[in-house]
Amino acid sequence: MELQKFQYDNKTVKMFAYATILWGLVGMLVGLIAAIQLYLPAANLNLPYTTFGRLRPLHTNAVIFAFVGNGIFMGVYYSLQRLLKARMFSDLLSKIHFWGWQLIIVLAALTLVLGKTTGKEYAELEWPIDILITLVWVVFGWNMFGTIIRRRERHLYVAIWFYIATFVTVAMLHIVNSIEIPVSFWKSYSWYAGVQDALVQWWYGHNAVAFFLTTPYLGLMYYFLPKMAQRPVYSYRLSIIHFWALIFLYIWAGPHHLLYTSVPDWAQSLGVVFSVMLIAPSWGGMINGLLTLRGAWDRVRDNVGLKFLVVAVTAYGMATFEGPMLSLKNVNAIAHYTDWIVAHVHVGALGWNGFMTFGILYWLIPRLFQTKLYSEKLANTHFWIGTLGIVLYAVPMYWAGFMQSSMWKDFTPEGQLKWQFMDTVTKMIPFYIARSVGGALFLVGAILMTYNLIKTIKVGTFLEIEEDQAPALVGEYQSHSKDHWHRWIERKPIQLMIVSLVVVAIGGLIEFVPVFLVKSNIPTIASVKPYTPLELQGRDIYVREGCYTCHSQMVRPFRSETARYGEYSKAGEFVYDHPFQWGSKRTGPDLARLGGKYPDSWHYNHMLDPTSMSPGSVMPQYPWLLEDQLDANSTMSKIKAMQRLGVPYPEGYDKIAINDMEKQAKEITANLKKDGIETLPDREIVALIAYLQRLGKDIKSEGLKTQK
Amino acid sequence: MLMNNFNKIKSLAVVMLIPAVGFCQEQTTKESSSYFTNVLFLTLLVTIIVLAIVIVAFSSVFKNIADSDYLTSKYSNKKEDNSSTMRNVTTVLLMLSSFAMMSQEKVVAIAKVDDGRIGGLDQFTFYFMLAIVFIELVVLGLIIYQFNFLVKTHTVVEATSKAKKVESKIIMSLTDAVAVEEEESIMLDHDYDGIKELDNNLPPWWKYGFYLTIVVSVIYLFNFHVLGTGDLQTKEYEKEIAQAKLEVEEFMKTSANNVDESTVKLLTDASDIAAGKAVFIANCAACHGQLGEGTVGPNFADEYWMHGGSIQDIFKSIKYGWIEKGMKAWKEDLSPMQIAQVTSFIKSLKGTNPPNGKAPQGDLYMEGGAAPISDSTAVIGDSLAIQIKADSLKSTAAATVTTAKK
Repeated sequence: MELQKFQYDNKTVKMFAYATILWGLVGMLVGLIAAIQLYLPAANLNLPYTTFGRLRPLHTNAVIFAFVGNGIFMGVYYSLQRLLKARMFSDLLSKIHFWGWQLIIVLAALTLVLGKTTGKEYAELEWPIDILITLVWVVFGWNMFGTIIRRRERHLYVAIWFYIATFVTVAMLHIVNSIEIPVSFWKSYSWYAGVQDALVQWWYGHNAVAFFLTTPYLGLMYYFLPKMAQRPVYSYRLSIIHFWALIFLYIWAGPHHLLYTSVPDWAQSLGVVFSVMLIAPSWGGMINGLLTLRGAWDRVRDNVGLKFLVVAVTAYGMATFEGPMLSLKNVNAIAHYTDWIVAHVHVGALGWNGFMTFGILYWLIPRLFQTKLYSEKLANTHFWIGTLGIVLYAVPMYWAGFMQSSMWKDFTPEGQLKWQFMDTVTKMIPFYIARSVGGALFLVGAILMTYNLIKTIKVGTFLEIEEDQAPALVGEYQSHSKDHWHRWIERKPIQLMIVSLVVVAIGGLIEFVPVFLVKSNIPTIASVKPYTPLELQGRDIYVREGCYTCHSQMVRPFRSETARYGEYSKAGEFVYDHPFQWGSKRTGPDLARLGGKYPDSWHYNHMLDPTSMSPGSVMPQYPWLLEDQLDANSTMSKIKAMQRLGVPYPEGYDKIAINDMEKQAKEITANLKKDGIETLPDREIVALIAYLQRLGKDIKSEGLKTQK
Repeated sequence: MLMNNFNKIKSLAVVMLIPAVGFCQEQTTKESSSYFTNVLFLTLLVTIIVLAIVIVAFSSVFKNIADSDYLTSKYSNKKEDNSSTMRNVTTVLLMLSSFAMMSQEKVVAIAKVDDGRIGGLDQFTFYFMLAIVFIELVVLGLIIYQFNFLVKTHTVVEATSKAKKVESKIIMSLTDAVAVEEEESIMLDHDYDGIKELDNNLPPWWKYGFYLTIVVSVIYLFNFHVLGTGDLQTKEYEKEIAQAKLEVEEFMKTSANNVDESTVKLLTDASDIAAGKAVFIANCAACHGQLGEGTVGPNFADEYWMHGGSIQDIFKSIKYGWIEKGMKAWKEDLSPMQIAQVTSFIKSLKGTNPPNGKAPQGDLYMEGGAAPISDSTAVIGDSLAIQIKADSLKSTAAATVTTAKK
């Protein structure tokens, strides 16, 4: 057979590597600032753009989609070409992919700080960017499949199965979760409402973890770990089982983010059991990684990249064991809404994704630049600082989460709550400080790495043209009788993609369809009415400011919660919530039953300076809400959009909505005046007060009536 | 006591295993079973047990290596060290368990005092269990450290073959793996950019663990959704509320705390007023001002009241709130006694004329009899005296609670 010569595209790999480092530093820095703001709210410099509610989505989007995203593409572009013995399909597509992705990141950063957000976690980006993401993702898939079709290797290696599953599943998740009705160019409403929105969102959110942070990185592990250790992969059979089991089971586990909420019991239980069943498939990846190192542990000592990988795989094992434990309802009852969850995700993010990326960079950059790493010693320092950073980050957060949850649940023997919410907040401060120190160490490590790699790059010369050769694939494959049955699908990339799609589609379908079609899953409550125009505008301000990053709107059926907040939340209360705002973290108290709890003037003063109304508060000040004028002109299009989503405003209400809005605003202004506060009815604060005073009231009044 | 001794003996038998078992047995016999419905307790207990099992597993593996023929023959001098470490670890474990035994009695005694509960556990139990977890972690760390040390000695001194035999013994029995030096026999003909693949069996513990999770999942779903034997969340909630109601009623029967809007009397004791003031500053001052001068909420120092100015009316306003006017109900946050205290404190503010007083709201209220106003205003000035008195009251109250519970 004739050997064909070809060249690898190293340039795109290099660019993705640079982007990974750059966005990694940015994302971690933003995270650090957000962490500091939790004990020093003034660290936002009193600017709307840098408040916690806007920085937190910026941090999560930056580290997930910018840092890890570019890391994925770096690793895929490097490994795919070599595993297939082929150059990337099209240099143009590679270019579009690279620059398109960077454009998305820049747009994301700009829009998020400007408060343009859909209010759905990890899917905050507005609809024009959503469309752009879809297009760039298709370009990535096109380029990948083009390369696969032109391959010179008959069978696809396990890493590529993971890449393919990642491609189809992320496409599915992104499209389904991002269905929204545009109101204007930078504003849209989620197509789903309340319980349905929550279910779709956490199906997406959980599987963003699964198929953006996990499966592609498992693929990278399967390439870079045996490469670095120069050892054969431990078990081919284990890779097959754990691959299919992982992608099938993962999809179902989304509802474990919604335990004890208003999501139907059966859906919650599915979330629990599928999470429990995920332990083994997740650990399959860890085992296959660690046991590949059998007989090569001495190399771990000498190879700093491998060292990072070992910690990464171990962190993966820890996080994927803890995840199922947190999905048990009784554990979740303690951990949910607390910093325990923050600790959990950071073991995965800092340990698994962070360390894996660092390990690959330390191995890859010297290879791309045909030189040795500038300083092994510095890299080792990075390793220890990073590890210390993770520990210092995680331990205080575990402790804090557990402590705060216990305090929330404490009752005196007389049957009263023992602690005011504020007591539990002030107790968190030392832990928040310790956490930011851990985060800072991790960032310092990353900076050391950047310096080390820049020095390496300066010394070396970039390997622009890397030649390789392999025989072309000709004719049909003659299968051997002793071939494993799975070898068939490894020769058929399109079939592999289709089967993956079917496997990942099942879980979502089974969970969604009944919730959308069977009425008993969301019992209607007659007293629940659509928001008034002013409340709707106020709600959009709530979404814009990212209030959901610190406040939940979901009272769980626990004594400690109904005593603190009021009647537990019912599914029927959220039917007009596009999007739902249940939140996932209680840095501040739950707001589901806030309406009517305090006077209007309390809210006014609280937004101006939270500590004036609740001493010790770590909420930032929102003085601009008192100054800024509400965009009243948008009311008509907002009401129209809501009508299209099925919210039962009367026919033609969009045209007169603005009158109702002004009327309600005047009432609130008059109310404020009674308490000595002069404000104009067209200020944003008025709309926000209207919304906050509405929260949870629909069934509150009902409840009072039945009591009488 | 006999029971106690019996427990001690029994626990000593399983001493290596779970110091916590003895601990919770004690709890069941002496206390109510309520600890077993406490999530925090169960979580800690499970952590303790799991860690203990891990420790035992690790130390037995460790002991196996330390005692393996390979080491005996090759490094007979080293073996001494290793077994002595083993002895050390065992001693630590024994000490740990006897510590557990000793403390049990303390727990029972101390568990009666109910202040400072953490997650429904009294502080001692909580910190005690936390301490066990911590000590277990330390022991585990020591074992792993020793284990590492042992494995390192191998790799440093020994080239490959013999050392791997030891590794194989442990790992292979767990993983059902083919030994590294024989792996050519299971090497597949796959070659991806130089990466080869072995065809090792699925590790048995992994495979059966996977089956186990599937079985558990099926049982879980059956329990909650087919047989309906498990409580779904609404039912669980109703039970929790009913249970809490019972407990509170039980407590209130014997408590001096049993006041409501019909039985409340004006408290004139300086310590009560001081306690009321503390509650006021913490909870009410944000809306009513530090001196009750009124900000968002009305002024308390004048003679005008929106919802009645009698002690009963004010008590009621605090307890149930006036939701539509922005006054929340405090009955879930404050005990009846605390509401009575803060009501009395508010009554004492009349005529104090704080600066920046808010204009009067509501109707003029005239006291029926002569309330001891002058008395309590004098008391406010003398905050130091109040402080001391309040402290002494606290301890007496605690004492009352303890005796009441007995």
